[in-house]
Amino acid sequence: MPPFKDEHILLIAPGSQMTLAQLGLPETFTPRAIPLPNAHFEPYRIREIRHEAKVPNGSGAPEEEPPKEDTEMKDSTSAAADGTATETAAGAEAGAEGGEKTEESTQTVQEVFYDEDVTSEEGAVYPIQNGRIVDWECFFALLTHIFNALSPPFHTPVLMIAQPVWSARDRETIAQFVFEKFKVPGFTLMDSALAACYGYGVQTATVVDVGKNKVDVTAVVDFQIQEHGRGIALEGCGGDAMTDRLVELLGSKGFSREMCEQLKRSNITEILPPGTPLPGSSATAHQGTNPAAPGDANGSGSAPGTEGNGENNGEEEGVLDVAAIVSGNTSEYLANMEKEKANTKKGAADPKQPKLPNAQKDKGTFQFEEFIEMEEENTTGGAKRYKRNSREIAVGVERFLSTTARQQAGPRLTSGILDDIATQIYHTISSVPYVSKRSELWDSLIIVGCGSKVRGFVPALLGVITQKFILSPTSSIFTSEIPSTISTPLGTGANTPAPVPQGQSAPGPMYHPAAHGSLKLPEYFPEFKDQPNTNAPGASSGPGSTSQGGHGTEEAVFLGAQMAAKVFFVIDQGLSKGYLSRMDYNESGPSAIHETTL
Amino acid sequence: MNPSNPPQAAEYGGDEVSAIVLDPGYSTTRAGFAGEDAPKSLIPTYYGKYNADGQEKLVFGDDIFTPRPGLSIHNPVGKDGIVEDWDMAEKVWEYSFTSRLTGSKPGNPFQNGLNDFSNDELPQEMEVETDEKPLSDSPLLMSEPGWNPAKAREKTIEIAMEKWNTPAFYLARNGVLASFAAGKASALVIDIGASNISITPVHDGMILKRGVQHSPLGGDYISSQIRALFKKNSPQPITITPHYLISSKTAVEAGQPPQANYKTFAADKAPDASYRALLEERTLSEFKECVVQVWPGPGKLSAPGPTGVPNEEAARNYPGRPFEFPDGYNQSFSVDRFRVVESLFDAKAAIPDPDSPVPAPTQAQTLPEIIKASLGGVDVDIRPHLLSNVVVTGASSLLYGFTERLNAELMALFPGPRVRISAPGNTAERRFGSWIGGSILASLGTFHQMWISKKEYEEHGPSIVEKRCK
Repeated sequence: MPPFKDEHILLIAPGSQMTLAQLGLPETFTPRAIPLPNAHFEPYRIREIRHEAKVPNGSGAPEEEPPKEDTEMKDSTSAAADGTATETAAGAEAGAEGGEKTEESTQTVQEVFYDEDVTSEEGAVYPIQNGRIVDWECFFALLTHIFNALSPPFHTPVLMIAQPVWSARDRETIAQFVFEKFKVPGFTLMDSALAACYGYGVQTATVVDVGKNKVDVTAVVDFQIQEHGRGIALEGCGGDAMTDRLVELLGSKGFSREMCEQLKRSNITEILPPGTPLPGSSATAHQGTNPAAPGDANGSGSAPGTEGNGENNGEEEGVLDVAAIVSGNTSEYLANMEKEKANTKKGAADPKQPKLPNAQKDKGTFQFEEFIEMEEENTTGGAKRYKRNSREIAVGVERFLSTTARQQAGPRLTSGILDDIATQIYHTISSVPYVSKRSELWDSLIIVGCGSKVRGFVPALLGVITQKFILSPTSSIFTSEIPSTISTPLGTGANTPAPVPQGQSAPGPMYHPAAHGSLKLPEYFPEFKDQPNTNAPGASSGPGSTSQGGHGTEEAVFLGAQMAAKVFFVIDQGLSKGYLSRMDYNESGPSAIHETTL
Repeated sequence: MNPSNPPQAAEYGGDEVSAIVLDPGYSTTRAGFAGEDAPKSLIPTYYGKYNADGQEKLVFGDDIFTPRPGLSIHNPVGKDGIVEDWDMAEKVWEYSFTSRLTGSKPGNPFQNGLNDFSNDELPQEMEVETDEKPLSDSPLLMSEPGWNPAKAREKTIEIAMEKWNTPAFYLARNGVLASFAAGKASALVIDIGASNISITPVHDGMILKRGVQHSPLGGDYISSQIRALFKKNSPQPITITPHYLISSKTAVEAGQPPQANYKTFAADKAPDASYRALLEERTLSEFKECVVQVWPGPGKLSAPGPTGVPNEEAARNYPGRPFEFPDGYNQSFSVDRFRVVESLFDAKAAIPDPDSPVPAPTQAQTLPEIIKASLGGVDVDIRPHLLSNVVVTGASSLLYGFTERLNAELMALFPGPRVRISAPGNTAERRFGSWIGGSILASLGTFHQMWISKKEYEEHGPSIVEKRCK
């Protein structure tokens, strides 16, 4: 088989919130090949908005689609085989980011226009939840859409990033679908943790993937994923859990979930390293059972003196806002609010000491952006239009408590997200059978995923690990005492084993993490460097979705996928069985994917 | 190749399904596809039970390590390796393959996106069963201890056939499988597990039942010895405080009392004592991995050495091995690290602990004695052959120095015949010996005729397992 070409390779990285896809490897690996009009790299939202009530000139589609997949399929599949109906629904989504006109008004056979509804996710179907594929039909429709949108040539091999939680049968089903539906010449599934290792260029590391609603902790030793003891899809540890905690803390103050979501992404929200005192109080930011936390949660009473003018204004805004919009005279209200905001800004700017770092300020303000419905007479085809509106909201010390334990955490005794993750890291590393590798695993933590974008997350996690698991430095004196018991083979024959390898390794202190650290991405991929976050909903279009602002270390997984694709499809051309070729698939069936799954 | 040429239309038309190999043990349950070199799924056989919202809930797999209010830990398998609680054993085993291998339910062919139906084409009378059973399309090979009673074997096939709906089934002795993993048809398999150590003589792929021996001096027994040692430790007794009870620790000098901040749980929220024991066990297994060492011999630890210096003195001269406990306490262990395992070979060397639920071992339970008893139960003619094919498997056999000592003991017991031990150096091969053997067996073409098919089961009932799986 002739070698594959760079520009034919298709990469797909499905995720709970969004799926990344890219056709062709760019010259230098970048997260987004920008200047090309048909942007090679397009984030497709997985969620499929089913609000199709906007264009009534369509036909039989009911006004309000229930979010159920089945009815949708029945309604519009009469002529559409291969699930084109769902696929076009996803297509409507696709245009949102790239701003391509063609995509934005994708049509089904029935000429129902799909448009993205920026204000609501009602009816959206997420085929992947917590990494699990919960709606196969929808997931396949998404894949089909990606294929149709990127329309790769026949000679396109596919590399897909696999979620750790996918079972063997899931992988087989995906392989079968991709081979039989798209007739690809080569396909491979690459575990996301391994892709992160490729991205960082290390062969032994502990990969912590902080997602929307779950965390995966994986130990990778010499590019081998250690399946046993792997922390897979730990629920209640991801970004949503932080938002939930903020809602719990601030809900009583009139903060909506969307506000908390944006607050979490703003640069005033920070996770302080354990033991750091909160500004304006004697409580520490992170404690196992933080006695201050419930007090804070119960409202402003426990934070006396933080109730400045600015904050009051901010909160009143938050409450008034909704009421005013509901009552109808939006434009008037908006004008008023602009004024108010200006005032607030002036008022707030003066009394504060702007020089203090965020971590020492009692309160901070962030820009809250939302979409407000515009009520206009001549809307095209009856579609609603929205205006983006932003205002400032002040928050007290609650913004430092996003990872503390929730009050209603369900039936688990958690002491905060960071604690849970650290415990899982410990569990995962101590399950690695190669004792000698464990200290290296502690030394090289890779933290990826958008959930880790919250300011201070990584240092705080490392702080918790140090507090709970790191060995005291005094004991390192023992390292010199480790016996060098490399025994000679016994005279009883060739099969007499040499002593078990891990027995020779340095026990004790060497096993325990003497040091630890998180790794940095290689310098030569400047595009992947951290960029400041944005919390504007426009960038991420819609509530709940992950911010698109920076392609930071969170996307190392995709970088790794690019490298792996280059290596397996182009450079060694299948010599190392990095992918399953169509011929092999025809011979041995879907289960052959396990022999190549990376 | 021109990228605009469509690929050839040939498609995979086969229906090869790889069998699932399930190797349930007392401490862990291993499951994976036949033909692979290690089980994909490794879960603790323990399961957790707790109450939430007035309902009893169960947790399986690694989830049992997460603290929950009132969480108690149980094991469906009895201390002797025979299942006691069949309902729960079924659930634990089922979890072991559904969690990582098959998924909870096989996809409905109408919904998996691979088949296109339009609405009117959908055959109404072909309603697909909604609650499909987890193993409907995978043959299942299971392992069992050599002393598994007939009742338990019949119950096992009943679960596999009726609850999981497997199309084909086979039950193999784990000792036999371990010898296959070592590439031998005849072997003396020494399996050092968590709750049991066992000796299984295998001849031409058949188990020699009269020679099967087992005794409770496995990994859990060593843990109880380590606990006994900690109780008597100087300068101070050591208590193991698992990580979940510690919020932070600070560095202390070796042998100094720990300085840590502890977590407390309200009485109604605190996990059960069995949960704590489970987590303590994890610290103990780290201790076994990093510190514990078997006196390599020759001779017992208490015996005088060849040069006249008592072995114990010689062991004392080995440099100590340090270990740090979760609360930060750390200490170096010298001769004591040999003493905790010495009673596997010498019952008199057991560290006495009157409070321990584990009874003190008898000499007949020690490894050399059960090997002797096992060989006493087999034909004299094949003994030398077995002794030259000793296969060591089981995670606890990874104790540092174990195989050397075993070798020394065998040489002392059987000075005449040539003793040859086969123990893979690869950790996974040693830990999953019987699983790997099952993986090899189930993927052999010639094994196909051995399966008990669903039809045969329906004809003959569960008793067929006694006839077919010898």
